[in-house]
This record gives sequence, structure tokens and C-alpha cells, in this order.
Amino acid sequence: MTKSPHLSRNNFVKGVVGILGTLMGVIVGLPAIGYLLSPALKIQTSESWIPLGPLDNYPVGEPTPFSFTRTKINGWEKATNSYGVYVLRKTETDTTVFSNICTHLSCRVSWHDDIVQYVCPCHDGHWNKDGAIVSGPQPRPLDTFENKVEDGNLFIHFVEG
Amino acid sequence: MDDEQKQRYLEKYKQAKQQGVKFFPDIIYKDLLVSFALFIILVMLATFVGVANEPKADPSDSSYIPRPEWYFLFLFEMLKFFPGQIEWVGTIVVPTVAILALFLLPFLDRKPARYPGKRWRAIGVMGVVVLAMIALTIRAVITTPPQVEAETVATTLSESILIGQDLYSINCVECHGPDGEGGIIEGVEGLEGYDMKSISAQDEMYTRTDDTLFNVINYGQPDLGMQPFGIAYGGELSIGEIETIVDFMRYTWDDRAELPQEVTQASAMPTLGEDQVPSYDVHIEPLVKRYCISCHRPGKKNNNYLMQSYEEVMNTGDHAPNVIPGDLASNLIRMLHREEIDAGGPMPPTKALKPEIIAIFERWVLGGAPQTPEEAAAAGTVVTGTLTAPQTTAIPTP
Amino acid sequence: MANKAFAWLDERLGLTTIYNVVLDRKVPKVNWWFTLGSASAILFLLQGVTGMFLAVYYVPSPQSAYDSIQFIMNGVAFGWLIRGIHHWGASLMVIVVFLHMLRTFYYGAYKYPREFTWLTGVVLLLCTLGMGFTGYLLPWNQRAYWATTVGTELPGTVPLIGPFITNVLRGGAELSAVTLTRFFAVHIWFLPAVIGALIGVHIYMVVKLGISSVPDRED
Repeated sequence: MTKSPHLSRNNFVKGVVGILGTLMGVIVGLPAIGYLLSPALKIQTSESWIPLGPLDNYPVGEPTPFSFTRTKINGWEKATNSYGVYVLRKTETDTTVFSNICTHLSCRVSWHDDIVQYVCPCHDGHWNKDGAIVSGPQPRPLDTFENKVEDGNLFIHFVEG
Repeated sequence: MDDEQKQRYLEKYKQAKQQGVKFFPDIIYKDLLVSFALFIILVMLATFVGVANEPKADPSDSSYIPRPEWYFLFLFEMLKFFPGQIEWVGTIVVPTVAILALFLLPFLDRKPARYPGKRWRAIGVMGVVVLAMIALTIRAVITTPPQVEAETVATTLSESILIGQDLYSINCVECHGPDGEGGIIEGVEGLEGYDMKSISAQDEMYTRTDDTLFNVINYGQPDLGMQPFGIAYGGELSIGEIETIVDFMRYTWDDRAELPQEVTQASAMPTLGEDQVPSYDVHIEPLVKRYCISCHRPGKKNNNYLMQSYEEVMNTGDHAPNVIPGDLASNLIRMLHREEIDAGGPMPPTKALKPEIIAIFERWVLGGAPQTPEEAAAAGTVVTGTLTAPQTTAIPTP
Repeated sequence: MANKAFAWLDERLGLTTIYNVVLDRKVPKVNWWFTLGSASAILFLLQGVTGMFLAVYYVPSPQSAYDSIQFIMNGVAFGWLIRGIHHWGASLMVIVVFLHMLRTFYYGAYKYPREFTWLTGVVLLLCTLGMGFTGYLLPWNQRAYWATTVGTELPGTVPLIGPFITNVLRGGAELSAVTLTRFFAVHIWFLPAVIGALIGVHIYMVVKLGISSVPDRED
């Protein structure tokens, strides 16, 4: 083929078949990739202050669970997602709010009063009352939320996305 | 066809093959060109014509005229020729015979002739059938009455919320107030003086699912004085429209659901500069739509004062004109200030508008009540320093 | 390297044989009308591919079908293109398959030795129409709902067993979630399986017998 300056009919058709075939593949294929990826690219971040009720509801020195829901649109579906937090009032004024999501693989951790630790049921991760790692595979302490108190009510800064 | 004829055919075909071409490249080349052309046509159709946006299926909407996909139209049309008792001839017998004929064709037509000119009878029959199909299809298209104009269909959540907001303003504000806050109902026949509870409070929103809200609007709550709004129950709203109202309520009043950003922007009241004259098109119309139009449209008790367009706002009403350019003693302004005058009582009846909103109306009237932003700009500036520009307000959340 | 890889594959898959038998064969000289068969096949492939992509987001339930299609059209990149091709492809495919049938009829190509090819072709034509009918309901919009209400009512006019046929088609007395899922299943599994298999047989016959020639005055 390199020797002949003329394209044989065979090679010409081969070329046309190749070009048109590729064109059809590209016209369908590239949009299709965007079609599959776009939900992952469209995740919006949102933030808001979630009220957790009067601060006085939370006893000092004892992690107390609180759950709240957020409504979200996933594609065509309105979903109400539940979130759980542990509120720890270390002193009257110093409050820490922990997420109950394990920092390892996002299982939900729970507070065990008897051993005074948070335990993740998936890979047996343990944290102490202040959220510091005791044992287990998790890479970091429990995540915390920024919080504030207004008129005696506790709020956490909740960031999604 | 006997064996000799078969043999002759095979011989001839062999010859044709020998004088013929290679499947690759010759045949493939033609095939590919045609297929590619069809593909391009498809992409063009998808891009430039697209797929019409139809309203959601509504089993209760009996006004819809059913039509099959176009390639079944001929069958559909054919049934008109088989009325009553013999209907099944059209629905079953004719299609079955046609399909059977297609299946049996090679066994019915066993003559060796292949040249179309020698098979004029078969070609003729098929020709008549095809022409009949085309004719029936055309007839069906011509005789189809046009579909009743469908309502605007919301395609995205943001659109739905905005459409829902308008529908809420028209249908719900009279009793429930512009922000769902309720209050003492005035000017609604049969419910005069009823103390409507808030429907936008958090405990309402948290305990009522979308389905519940939908049903309340659709069926009404006759025992509580709420009429049904669904078409199927004597109202005017299609299920698609009711869903947009539910979306509006949920995303405006429920603090667990965040309003999409596009909606916040689209429904924000337009900004107004410190010394700018508001215009009807930009500033007044959204306010009128939001706070007035639920009563000030045809068929409501409103002293014939309609507010659906600039002309109506300026000219209609038993006490017209209600807006006199440049005159702050216009009926509209006095009633907004809750004065009791000949033209009527305080407006809106249930609750005063916020002072900054009344201020926009005042600046508009003072500026000559211009319709378009151009006219407003030409009207120059208002010198009343006391009136402050309102902030950009999103849909207020209670 | 490439040659070696090809030789290795060829030895195992018989690529050269396939090339010789399928591609490098002599066929009679034919006209442009003979491209409709392959066009039908390409359209079927295209419908298959776009259909698979639509199935990524589509939900066959009365609650979600409509919303999921709105999401495809407005919430996903190029969803409008994929659905547009699938929507218009359906109409185009009906036209092309029908014209393919007319050409075969006109040239008498259903005659010996291609009777069986014709039979499979008739089934393919009916399946194509079946795809159109079942696919029409899936968007669950007004058009779809009412057209299918009427369409499934038609067999109900048959004396005696008619109402029963209608109930079988609908999976109940009226159009419901059951109707939608069975139309969906027929649309994406049953009919495509039949069509795919029959296209295989159809093409095998065409390769084995050779495409028919354009008949001349003596034929």
C-alpha cells in the first residue's frame, strides 16, 4: 500500500468503512460516556445550620444521640435521608458534636455505655468518649461538626456533598 | 415450481453471481452509505426536532384524545368502517388475514415468475393494500381533532416549583395567604370569618407527605370547607399541576428541603435601585401575581377589577380607574394602606402587604405607572427620599 | 507483532475462513433498494444500544416512569440525544423494515429457495411492530396511557375470548403497574431476544443462499 500512489478500491472502501464506523461510534459513544458520568459530576454541595434543640436537653459528660433528616433529590426521586450525631457536653459551655459515621468505611458507630467507647460494628473500630482512636483499622478520630448555641438552642453546621 | 424450474433458476443465479461483484467491498460500501445517512437523519431529528414533552399519564382526565403511534393509525382509522356488531372483523379478522397472507405468500404464489411485469396481479394487490394504508393514515391525521391545549409541563424541579408558585397564587392564596400563613378569611363565599390555620408551619410540613398534600388538593376537604381542585372531582387542576403545587409547598416551607439555587434566583423579586422608577413588566407584575390575582381574575368577587395584564390593572373595575398615574390617592394605593373607601375595603383582605412592597406600588404610581422598563427609565427618578429600596427578596420562608 | 497476534487468533477463531465465506464472496449486481436489509439491522443495533443506556435511568413503575424520563431528558448530560435517537429510531425502523419487505415482495425474492428467509422476515416485521406497541407505553405520559388503553381494548372485541385476551395483555382489568412492567419486560427482553435470534437465522440464510438478484424479463 505504501508503494502505490493509487488507492485500490478495496482499501478505499476499507477506509470509508473505518471512518464512517468510527464516526457513528463517536457520535453515540462520547455522549453516552457523559450520560453515564453526569450524575457523579453534578453532586451539589450544600450547607445549613441544623437545630438540635435546647442545649439543656443534653446532659453534661454523656454522649447523647440525636438524629435528623434532610430531603434530597436523587435523580427522579425525593429521598429523605437520616443522619445521626452524638452530642457530648464536656462542660456546661464546651460542646462537641460527633458524626456517627465511621471514618474507615462509613458504617454507623454507636455509643456503648458499658465500655465507655464508641464501637463500629463492621471492623471492630473503637473510639473513646472524646472521639480519639482506641483500636481498629480506622484512619482518623470521629468527625465532628462545627456547632454554636443561640438562645439556648444548639445548632450544628452541616455540609453535604 | 418443479425440479426442472428450480434447476434452471439455480443455474441462472450462479451465472448472475459470477458476473456480479464481491460482497466486500462493493455491497458493504453501499450498505454503509445508506445506514450512515439514516444515522445522520436520526441524530438530526433527535437534535433539531427532539421528543415532544407530554404531560404525565392521568387516568382521570377523560378529555384526552387517544391516538396510537403513527404507524398504527391506519388500523385505528380502519375501525371506523366496522361499526357495532361487526367491529371484531376490523380489530381481529382483517389483521389476522393480512398476517396470514404474508406468512403464506411463498406457498400461495408458487409460480416461477419473478419479474414484476409478469406478476401484475400480486403487485396490484399489494399496491392497493399499501395505498389503502397510506390513505387511511392520511385520513386519520386529517380527521383527528386537535388535542386540547395541554398545560405547561414542568420538565425540571425548578420549573415545577415556579409553575406551582403561580398556581398557588391563583388557587390558594385567598384562603391560605401568600405564604400559607392562614388567618381570618375575608371575601370568600361560605368561609367568611373562618380562622384558617397555617399550612406552612413546620409541624404541618413534617407530618404531611407529598402524597397527603397531593390528595388534600386533589380531593379537597369538603367537611372543612375546602373544595376539590382535581379535574376528576370538579376542580380545574390536572394531576401534573397539583404536583407542581406540592413541589412549591415542599421546597418553600419545609426547612429540611433546600430550594434549588435556580429557583431562588428565578423567583426573587427584581432589584430596584434607590431612585429608579419601577415598571409594571419587571416589578409590579410579579407582586400582582403573587398577592392579588387569586381574587382579581374572572369569576371571582372583585368588583370586576381584573389584574391579569397591564391594561386590566389600569382600566377595569366598577370604580375604574383604580390606578391614576402620579396620584397617590389612587384607589389601589389607598386600599393597600387599608383604608375603607367607596371602591372597597383594605387589600389584600386578610393581611397587609409589607411596607416595602407597598412602597414599590407607590413609587410606580408616582412615576406615572409605566408599563415597560424603557418607559420607566424615561420617567426619570422619583424624588421621594423616604421610600427605601427593597432588598432582593427570595421567596420568604416563615 | 500484530501479525503474530492475528495468526494466533486466526488459528483459533478461523477468522480467514469467516472472511472468505462471509465477506469475500461473489454476489449478483444489485441496486440501492438492496441496502434496506442491512439498514434494518443497523437500526436494530442502534435501538439496542440506546435502549441499554435508557435502561440505566428508566424505572418501569407508574410512580417513577414519567419522572425518570424527565430526569433523562433534563437531568443527565445527552439524555435528550439518547432518547431522541431511540424515539425517532423506532419510527425509522418501522419504515425501513416495511420498505425492505416491499422490495422483497416486488422482486419476488420470497420464492424458491428463499421461502424460509421470507417467513423469518415476516416474524421480524411483526416483532418490530410489537416493539413499537410495547415501547409506546413506557414513558407513561398521556399519549402513552390512552393509546395503550385503546390498543389493548381492541382484542376485547373478539367474540367470547376477547375480554380475556385484553386482561392478559394488561395483566388485570385496567392499565396499571402490572401492565407497565409486563410491557417493559416484553420490550427489553422477550422481543429483542426473538428479534436477535431471528436476525441471526435471517442473515445466515442470506449468506448461505446469496442475496437475490434483480429479476430480468426472462425471470
